[in-house]
Amino acid sequence: MTTTTPTVPQGTTSLEPGVRRGLYRTMVLIRTYEEAIRREYYADKGPGFDIGKGLVPGEMHLSAGQEPVAAGLCAHLTADDAVTATHRPHHLAIAHGVDMNAMTAEIFGRETGLGRGRGGHMHLFDPATHFSCSGIIAEGYPAALGQAFAFQRKGSDRIAVAVTGEGAANQGAFHESLNLAALWHLPVVFVVEDNDWGISVPRSASTSVPSNADRAAAYGIPGILVEDNAVEGVWSAAKDAIGRARSGGGPSLIEVHTLRLWGHFEGDAQGYRTDLAGVEGRDPLPAYRATLEADGVLVPGAADTIAREASERVESAIAAAKAAPLPDPAHATDYVFA
Amino acid sequence: MTDLLFPPLSTQRPDAEGVVTRWFVPDGEHVTAGQLVAEVQVDKVDAEVDAPADGLLRVVVAVDGIAHQGDVIGRVEPD
Amino acid sequence: MTTTQESMAAAAHGTHRLTTAKAIAEGIALEMRGDPSVVYLGEDVGAYGGIFGATGGLLDEFGPTRIIDTPISETAFIGLGIGAAVEGMRPIVEVMFTDFMGVCLDQIYNHMAKIHYESGGNVSVPMVITMAAGGGYSDAEQHSQCLWGTLAHLPGMKVVAPSNPYDAKGLMISAIRDEGPVVFVFHKGVMGLAWMARNDRAVSDVPDEAYTVPIGKAAVAREGTDVTVVTISRSVHHALDVAEKLDGEASVEVLDLRSLVPLDRTAILASVAKTGRLVVVDEDYHSFGMSGEVVATVVDVDPKLLHAPAIRVANPDTPVPYARTLEQTILPMPERIEAAVRRVLAG
Repeated sequence: MTTTTPTVPQGTTSLEPGVRRGLYRTMVLIRTYEEAIRREYYADKGPGFDIGKGLVPGEMHLSAGQEPVAAGLCAHLTADDAVTATHRPHHLAIAHGVDMNAMTAEIFGRETGLGRGRGGHMHLFDPATHFSCSGIIAEGYPAALGQAFAFQRKGSDRIAVAVTGEGAANQGAFHESLNLAALWHLPVVFVVEDNDWGISVPRSASTSVPSNADRAAAYGIPGILVEDNAVEGVWSAAKDAIGRARSGGGPSLIEVHTLRLWGHFEGDAQGYRTDLAGVEGRDPLPAYRATLEADGVLVPGAADTIAREASERVESAIAAAKAAPLPDPAHATDYVFA
Repeated sequence: MTDLLFPPLSTQRPDAEGVVTRWFVPDGEHVTAGQLVAEVQVDKVDAEVDAPADGLLRVVVAVDGIAHQGDVIGRVEPD
Repeated sequence: MTTTQESMAAAAHGTHRLTTAKAIAEGIALEMRGDPSVVYLGEDVGAYGGIFGATGGLLDEFGPTRIIDTPISETAFIGLGIGAAVEGMRPIVEVMFTDFMGVCLDQIYNHMAKIHYESGGNVSVPMVITMAAGGGYSDAEQHSQCLWGTLAHLPGMKVVAPSNPYDAKGLMISAIRDEGPVVFVFHKGVMGLAWMARNDRAVSDVPDEAYTVPIGKAAVAREGTDVTVVTISRSVHHALDVAEKLDGEASVEVLDLRSLVPLDRTAILASVAKTGRLVVVDEDYHSFGMSGEVVATVVDVDPKLLHAPAIRVANPDTPVPYARTLEQTILPMPERIEAAVRRVLAG
């Protein structure tokens, strides 16, 4: 059984203005963060581009364009709910409430980071919010099952949310996880962020069905498709799915057709990308701002205030990260075993 | 004499500084049209530069030298 | 001869300068031109040209029926490669990073590597698996491993890891022509990528035509008399840098294994018999791997060949950390290699 969530008509939503403002605020904070990290990433890679150089070395996968998924989903979660994410984790970490200073320190490889600088941007672990992510495609799904399993045994209504991209839906772990969660009726919500591209491979070249929401039926669980990267559509779909999991109704799958505004990683020339010309025009943030201003939910000046507050928060986290101590090489082999 | 230009790599930043990352053929050596002679880079985008004509290669911008898209980075002289 | 005449003479011998990545692509292209059953499958190998450039330009020449972008389904497409090879094709199948082989290891070590043995030699699997390996640019725990020790430990597959463009092209051609499975590991740092730290040892002259480099034969990268440094892949470059630095103080022989399976034990023994001192450099984990195997090669035959205990310079048994200060400590960088060479000479 697959239902397509209808696009929430602009201007006639039933969401409370406070909720809508909150969604916008979260998305702006995420975008501000990603733009700032992008700036820091490129600041000291030159001349040319040496990926290993600078204060933020290595690969960087930013989530600009995918803010609606994180904002709409995490609005229904508390810090006691688990979230597993991917190599592109920042939007979900921020929306789920991971401490921004500790996260940023980790991205800058500092001793005060979430992982004491050992993990970096693809391996953010925050026990306080039960947030984790990993660089191996689809491998966050099995872990979420386990967190849901533990929550269920404790008799709580806590849930686990597992997020992957659409490319991951063709990996074995994805299918095993859906089957096992359904079979054991685990309180987990599976979310697929379909941003059309698995690095350079379009969904049409990787996936045998038009939408992964259709695959949910193969495992006997509800599948919901949110087609247009609309944050309120995500919010509505997530409310249903999360409510179902919390009340003992078992797992669901939500697929959001979202947008990868930038490259797969920073430095990706995207020469393969045929839809590049239309990308800027599909940016969800200016569209949602326009909607909220038209509805009077954002009064004149409110958007600027939100932007300024976001910028202050983000720059403060970055400044703190840059001032934090580097890890001591003498302890490079610590923490292998407990 | 034919100019070897730094190719356009970034439509978003046409004035971006780039760097010549490699010469595959040393200054003064004979090249044939279409032969791979250099590699250049803007941000993380790199591109191959092929000789535009037969002749002797003259290096104008050395390895690690900064250049802008469209700049002359080398020349091919008739030999 | 004038410069021009010398150049034209060199051109007549038919070589050109390539990066390791381009040399790999050229080796694949030459074999693909000659044999329509050679195909290349993997993630982002088509329009992208491979994340590390191994298939650059190949889609343009051979089209999407032979340079094939796959879904993220390693078990399925590695297995597909096995089946195609069994039916007479010569597929090259890419696992994007060695780190990802966990998701498809069953196909690799229980099937690809064992079918020939299980069938009493009646069924062959002439396929190549390519994998990118190695760290040094802060790609952290799941994107920086080498893992050739793990691959080499499992019987039934040859394992090669070239350090330079000449060997890369020749080994790729040998791998494709081999009648059995070959895992071709290319360290990202030897590929000569423009977006990584510049490495002049990643570019060299390569003959225009197809040629082979024998699998299972090491190469003396630098001759010496005082100490043997046995190593492979990116660490060959570091060892050569150290040898050049110590020139005048010590005569360091650098042995580039080029292959781990088969391991050129003869070359290891010949070099150590000459120098009497051994340093092994391995960017894989220290224990239960390549470095121990090289030392055992000597000790199994004659421990008295060693005038001092052998020294192993490897990644400790620790995941590769993200922070640069930590990563540079973990990897077998030139400073550690030099210290080991000095220690073994003093011992």
